Amino acid sequence: MATAATLPSSCSSTFQTLSHTFSLRLPLRLGGSSFHHLTSLAAFPRLAHSPLLARHPISASAERNGSSSDGEYDYDLFTIGAGSGGVRASRFASTLYGARAAICEMPFATVASDDLGGVGGTCVLRGCVPKKLLVYGSKYSHEFKESHGFGWTYEADPKHDWSSLIGDKNTELQRLVGIYKSILNNSGVTLIEGHGKIVDPHTVSVDGKVYTAKNILIAVGGRPSMPNIPGIEHVIDSDVALDLPSKPEKIAIVGGGYIALEFAGIFNGLKSEVHVFIRQNKVLRGFDEEVRDFIAEQMSLRGITFHTEQSPQAISKSSDGLLSLQTNKETIGGFTHVMFATGRRPNTKNLGLDEVGVRMDKHGAIVVDEYSRTSVDSIWAVGDVTDRANLTPVALMEGGAFAKTVFGGESTKPDYRAVPSAVFSQPPIGQVGLSEEQAIEEYGDVDVYTANFRPLRATLSGLPDRVLMKLIVCASTNKVVGVHMCGEDAPEIIQGIAIAVKAGLTKQDFDATIGIHPTSAEEFVTMRNATRKVRRSTTDEVESKDMPVSTAQYSSIVVALSEGNTLREQHFCSDCLVEIRQLVNLLLHSQPENFMNAVIRMKNYGSLHYKKVAIVCDKYKDFADVLFGSLSNLNTKQNARKRSMDVLKRRLEDFS
Amino acid sequence: MARKMLKDEDMAVADGGSYDYDLFVIGAGSGGVRGSRTSASFGAKVAICELPFNPISSDWQGGHGGTCVIRGCVPKKIMVYGASFWGEFEDSKNFGWEINGDINFNWKKLLENKTQEIVRLNGVYQRILGNSGVTMIEGAGSLVDAHTVEVTKPDSSKQRYTAKHILIATGSRAQRVNIPGKELAITSDEALSLEEVPKRAIILGGGYIAVEFASIWKGMGAEVDLFYRKELPLRGFDDEMRAIVASNLQGRGIRLHPGTNLSELSKTADGIKVVTDKGQELIADVVLFATGRKPNSQRLNLEAAGVEIDQIGAIKVDEYSRTSIPNIWAVGDVTNRINLTPVALMEATCFSKTVFGGQPTKPDYRDVPCAVFSIPPLSVVGLSEQQALEEAKSDVLVYTSSFNPMKNSISKRQEKTIMKLVVDSETDRVLGASMCGPDAPEIIQGMAIALKCGATKAVFDSTVRGH
Repeated sequence: MATAATLPSSCSSTFQTLSHTFSLRLPLRLGGSSFHHLTSLAAFPRLAHSPLLARHPISASAERNGSSSDGEYDYDLFTIGAGSGGVRASRFASTLYGARAAICEMPFATVASDDLGGVGGTCVLRGCVPKKLLVYGSKYSHEFKESHGFGWTYEADPKHDWSSLIGDKNTELQRLVGIYKSILNNSGVTLIEGHGKIVDPHTVSVDGKVYTAKNILIAVGGRPSMPNIPGIEHVIDSDVALDLPSKPEKIAIVGGGYIALEFAGIFNGLKSEVHVFIRQNKVLRGFDEEVRDFIAEQMSLRGITFHTEQSPQAISKSSDGLLSLQTNKETIGGFTHVMFATGRRPNTKNLGLDEVGVRMDKHGAIVVDEYSRTSVDSIWAVGDVTDRANLTPVALMEGGAFAKTVFGGESTKPDYRAVPSAVFSQPPIGQVGLSEEQAIEEYGDVDVYTANFRPLRATLSGLPDRVLMKLIVCASTNKVVGVHMCGEDAPEIIQGIAIAVKAGLTKQDFDATIGIHPTSAEEFVTMRNATRKVRRSTTDEVESKDMPVSTAQYSSIVVALSEGNTLREQHFCSDCLVEIRQLVNLLLHSQPENFMNAVIRMKNYGSLHYKKVAIVCDKYKDFADVLFGSLSNLNTKQNARKRSMDVLKRRLEDFS
Repeated sequence: MARKMLKDEDMAVADGGSYDYDLFVIGAGSGGVRGSRTSASFGAKVAICELPFNPISSDWQGGHGGTCVIRGCVPKKIMVYGASFWGEFEDSKNFGWEINGDINFNWKKLLENKTQEIVRLNGVYQRILGNSGVTMIEGAGSLVDAHTVEVTKPDSSKQRYTAKHILIATGSRAQRVNIPGKELAITSDEALSLEEVPKRAIILGGGYIAVEFASIWKGMGAEVDLFYRKELPLRGFDDEMRAIVASNLQGRGIRLHPGTNLSELSKTADGIKVVTDKGQELIADVVLFATGRKPNSQRLNLEAAGVEIDQIGAIKVDEYSRTSIPNIWAVGDVTNRINLTPVALMEATCFSKTVFGGQPTKPDYRDVPCAVFSIPPLSVVGLSEQQALEEAKSDVLVYTSSFNPMKNSISKRQEKTIMKLVVDSETDRVLGASMCGPDAPEIIQGMAIALKCGATKAVFDSTVRGH
């Protein structure tokens, strides 16, 4: 029973079940009812009768329509690739719509190649699942640190045994492969092992054996890709990184995307020395700018070193077996491992696509229409091979929509609006909808609500962990169009919020909801005042309700500061005066962009003694308020500077 | 009618009148602080009185921040965090971590850090009030008449203040059951400030406070026995979820004694001897009564103004939080409606809008989410299956999902996560959502938004998952 119950959700974190994989609970609980769980494919609920209206339970069998069983073809559907999208599509086609389905997949291996893969696909074998397990394992080191503030101590520092974790992970993967196979089997889908190749629009050959099908679905996914630079043979990709024989002592990770950040977190948590090299000046291109800054800062604080604006040029191996990475700026040596997380490429080679006329784009992704149909009428494609939104839940959605369209007689387009996503960095990120920048581009007038706070857990642990939360609201409709969070539990929190965003709810709806106290998530329903109101029509980016401090007043502050008069009168000690002056200089004269960049900030402004400044500001609170108040009002037109000051101010709060 | 009256009041406020204050608030907990801040932001002249700070409340001690900050949500959550680490250490072993030698837990350090944090928050609350222009007065407030409050200061001097409106937000206090030896037992106030973490703890009560302390002490290494009258703990919650919580508590090593009451406590050399109504005898270091809370309405001299209370002492209010006296209002636990911090905040905001904002506003008690911070936690919003069956006109569809979280596949912890949606079959509206498992309160918060807005099951389904 326990095993059976895990089936539908086995490759998910807890929130998977929020959508249509809710398992069927039959009105009668049969002894050993695992069979029912195994075969429950859609969300057939248990019907609880209202006392007055006793009715018979709804029949749990779906109507079978759409799929013709004419003997012209061996199968109604032949799917190439048994990953998330392929398994979902063939299962649904078979059990919901009665299609005769077959699926082919290559033999199991943890590292994918042209001939090896495995039922379950990237998500289960080389992606979401093993990655999340390693994230769980590596997160403990942070928890050990946190626990000190809660009164826990250890005689000896906890040590990690890499091989034991990898061994347990592989056992779990094997178990999941078995489960996927039995899901297919129980759904009446024929599983064929081998490499599938399309021969003509209705024929697939698997290692020489030929099968005909009315429809062919390509769901072969993607694979890591690396640039062809000297020494690339010494480099590992994410497949290998998930299954290393030993833990890296010092690792270079090249790439600024989510895979790079997740692995940086994993290895840092397991106490490797981690260097991340990114080509741009910020990580996570495409994410909300504020989130990009925030995550880099939080990861730096946990001990990861970022090297920005550096492109890899060569890797060399020295006589002691250690690796050096040469970039356009520097060469760093002493790495036991160099990992590239530089993108993924669709697996479209050796599928016979050109021959049969399936069109691909210049990256090799299969071109499909809104219903996932390729340029050949009887051939369809879902998931990473089409390079739309490369996420497991999206592949599942596409697979489900495909089955409904082709076999369910109901044309269904996958809906890419408000698709939530998560980055399991440490701390993790959850987001749904638009970034602030996208929202401004799309709607022009946007209200942004942010909260950036030190969670209760961190005030006790004494660690510099913070949480960033952000609501982006379209000013004209008041609809919440984007929600972002970076911090503990972010993916779990965003999942619930995603339902509200998908439903098109407004800021008022959020406000009308009562908080759950004390949680982090309650912050999302208690954001009363907009942090910024961005208006296309006016030049003022920031609307400030406070009375602006006059320039004259401001000047007098600066003069007082530089003269030290005010300070001396209030018995400031002289070295704190230096700090205050430094602070003002920093805010007034530095490039705000530089200050916003966590990496540069750490390098250039590391000398600012926050703690001393904080002590001063705390001691002379009124003075500090005037200082910050005047500075922020002076800079109302400079969003970035205002933000950078917010960052600084919060930092100061940490110490007070 | 109420509306017209409120309009007249508004004009009186604008006049200023002949009172010391437009609003005098008794009690600076969640509701009182919110009520005074928001009223002040509408331009009212506000004073608030609160007892001197002490982690353990009494007739003469309290503190800014109130139960939530000093003796409730916040310190409790800190304790739950502290206690959760034990389970994490256990789980970490199967993820390859070796902790050689002893793991020690220093209760005093946790207590110190907790106290530091609540002292900080206490200061934050005072600062918030100060910045909002609210006058803070230290002492115990009681009514003299409908417009006069007398504050007894810590030095026993008394001073009177007059106000156009009075808001009572004095909260509630843990109460003990009346059995022989009851003075040997402690309440949740003391439990959050014990000198030592108990080795053997006995808890009486089946509510959320009882369940949370059971988890806290168990996580800190105590032997815990939990006694309650019903078959399952957490009366009022969904029956299925109650059963799950009970089995999780048991799974974590807490001994449950359903259908059992304590009948006598006595002191022995070895500890407190506890006799149950089934004749069982146990010895414990600490006996916690988590047997309900009582509104703090006694010392307010309510009779003087004619403010009515119900038989348990809760102040009777109408939908706008107005008491039987038109210019006296009450919010939060002292009114015993839904005793949760966010609800007190909502009531207080509505009060300010109604009285000083010129927009009569009723608090909306529909779909108030809540959480039980047991380990693992439970969180719910909307109706339980049982409530839905009673209230819904059409059939009710129940979707449940029970699974082993991925983390458990490696840690080998035998603890299932359960999620449940209750849906109206006719309208497809989701009437209730509940979850028991890691991070449940964080997850349910978002769903609460959707539920509050009448989201349907179809909307839930169409949302693509984070993964």
